[in-house]
Amino acid sequence: MSDTAPSVGFDALRDLRRRRQLHRLGNLDWFEAAYRVYLFGIFGGGAVLWISNSIKDEPVSEAVAADVLSHGPAVLGLLVAFAFMAGVRGGAQGGPVALEAADVVYVMLAPIDRRRALWKPAVQRLRSAVFTGAMAGGVIGQLAGRRLPGSTIAWFGSGALYGANLAAVWVGAALLAHTLRVPRWLATSLGLVGVAWQAAAVTWGVVGPFDLDGSLALWGWRVRGIDVLALAGALAMVVVGMALLRRLSLDALARRSALVAQLRFAVTMQDLRTVILLRRQLNQEHARRRPYVRLGVAGASKGFTGTVWRRGWHGLLRFPVPRLIRMAAIAAGMGVLQAMVVRGTTPAFLGTAVLGFVLGLEIMEPLSQEVDQADRADALPVERGELMSRHLFAPAVALLPFALVAAVAAWLALGAHGDAVAPALVLAFPTLLGGATGGVVSIIKDMPDPASAPTQQNFMPPEMVGFTTAIRIVWPIVVSTLTTCTVLLPRAAFERGDSVVAAAVRGALGSLLVVLLVFQWVRLRDRLRRKIRAFMDEGRAYTSQQRSSA
Amino acid sequence: MTAALSTHQLAKDYGDRPALEPLDLEVPEGQHVALVGHNGSGKTTLLRMAAGLLDPSAGEARIMGHVSGSLEARRSLSWLSDTPTFYDDLSLWEHLEYVGRLHGVAEWQGKAEELLERLQLSARRDDIPTTFSRGLRQKAAIALGMVRPFDVLLVDEPFVGLDSNGKTTLLELLDEAAQVGATLLVATHELAFVGRVGRLLALRDGALVYDGPPSEADVHTLVLPA
Repeated sequence: MSDTAPSVGFDALRDLRRRRQLHRLGNLDWFEAAYRVYLFGIFGGGAVLWISNSIKDEPVSEAVAADVLSHGPAVLGLLVAFAFMAGVRGGAQGGPVALEAADVVYVMLAPIDRRRALWKPAVQRLRSAVFTGAMAGGVIGQLAGRRLPGSTIAWFGSGALYGANLAAVWVGAALLAHTLRVPRWLATSLGLVGVAWQAAAVTWGVVGPFDLDGSLALWGWRVRGIDVLALAGALAMVVVGMALLRRLSLDALARRSALVAQLRFAVTMQDLRTVILLRRQLNQEHARRRPYVRLGVAGASKGFTGTVWRRGWHGLLRFPVPRLIRMAAIAAGMGVLQAMVVRGTTPAFLGTAVLGFVLGLEIMEPLSQEVDQADRADALPVERGELMSRHLFAPAVALLPFALVAAVAAWLALGAHGDAVAPALVLAFPTLLGGATGGVVSIIKDMPDPASAPTQQNFMPPEMVGFTTAIRIVWPIVVSTLTTCTVLLPRAAFERGDSVVAAAVRGALGSLLVVLLVFQWVRLRDRLRRKIRAFMDEGRAYTSQQRSSA
Repeated sequence: MTAALSTHQLAKDYGDRPALEPLDLEVPEGQHVALVGHNGSGKTTLLRMAAGLLDPSAGEARIMGHVSGSLEARRSLSWLSDTPTFYDDLSLWEHLEYVGRLHGVAEWQGKAEELLERLQLSARRDDIPTTFSRGLRQKAAIALGMVRPFDVLLVDEPFVGLDSNGKTTLLELLDEAAQVGATLLVATHELAFVGRVGRLLALRDGALVYDGPPSEADVHTLVLPA
């Protein structure tokens, strides 16, 4: 029955892609697109301006400049090493190319050359990654150029080159790992070797595998011909990966196609919870079939709180090992950033807040699961707020070992000084818990509200929708920031010569106060909203009664 | 004679959970086979590996003697999924054109019109199939699976969502494909369909527990989980 001419098939693919592009352009809502560009311009430009203003314009001292020149390539190479690790791991898990689900079924199962069919999606992936990397690198480069020798334009160019190269390393490593079907354990090992070796280059000054990549970023100051080898390496990975495109696994493409489409939609909806869930699915990160330890039913006999407590622990004790390692790394990062604040880099507490927020989204999984199953929660004979607030207990306790990791990391980053032990231990848990509270706010804010009209936001003018969207994204980070900036208290006490431990205790109490407020908000939110709504309805009824009687 | 579909020690596991035990199977050209089993028995896993959409953990599957997923295998194989997917910016007619031409069919229009007519989709040919109901989507997927030539047709749960007319038309189309020599492997829970085939395969918890004529099998027992 088969009687086909393969060349006709590829012509069809080209024709239909062109036609679909025309359809898309025809269906594009230009006003909506322009509005998104406007929003991006306002917030993106504002962020760049804020960062630019927070960086002083006077040139760094000669000693600092010499330090940048000698250690810069290794430190910046570390970022490329992380990109390499992300690339090989992503490739082993089926990245970096993502097709539409229909393309997998109709194009990949058609008798046409898969390399030709996959060429365009792969080039698009590479192009968008390189463009993003170049833009980010260029912006950061010009900021660095304001304090280092060399013209701003040259620094913009070298930053863009470094960013583009970093992106090419990521995409090339992913393509190679995927097409060569590198097993996940080997990909992780390769990535860790790269990162560890480069970290050794940073710490002990040995030659690192990504020193040349890092050195590209300093071309705004001085150009070294040998650095071109880094570009050649990245290019070689991309070329070989592209040449092997037909070896991409259809299994991985099929699995990713649906997830990536959902992920893009979730990103456009600023739905962080879904983004994280889908990222886990993309990485094939599943909960363990059985918890590490199963809690006895004794806890459940203590009634409602005990039942929720036990359910929470059974969820937390199913976290796979990579997730626990990731959370420990986040906690360690928070500790290091807090130590940087103490050492004088004040804006680092914003980084702590963001990491705390991310840790919150990870650790508050039992709460997230309950919010995801909102219908089930609403069917229970308990107040929703009471149920949700009980879900905070087990994750809060589960943060304790991570707080210890953060305390140790902060202590080490402060030079393992004996005086730093007590404040680090006092502040670690409240800081982590407070940071995670931002995650709680984000999760609860995304919870459907059965009492409110779903179309309420549709009647808002576009300017208000943009504003509320921005608030929705920023507010949880603000909550995390409120609880992580308390590290400024012991720093100030140290500068004044006061008791650092006493200041750390005051800071910890401040963080815990915010945590308590958020807990009460979770518990009483629905009741308060109902009261406000009833009050508003009463007001409206009274007004209309007044009008009708007049 | 080359087997239309053959598997050699084909197996799939998801971590510590086996989805399909090592399977050796030969389906001769022109045979009409039903594949039954309880939910999670491994039917879809077997079909997806045969189609080249799922990487086996071990072994291999071949279509008309070619490794599944190879260009030659793809030329011979048509795959009808239980979860039809469509482009959200192409009409049904454009889908038919696309699939027909991708498979090198120059005169696809006549076949496409006939399929739409028989599946009662002619009035919807210019609509976007992602907006269709479950049943209409299934019919659209059937049209797309049959608008192109094939030697082997793998079908996963084709009757789900179809009304009685749709089921009748699908059975007619499958019979017609069998009459012109195509090999059919249909995974189904529709036990009435089993009586129309020449061979029955039953999977239970990933293992083949029956391979023979349907007349000699107690199908209701075979589809029960262990």
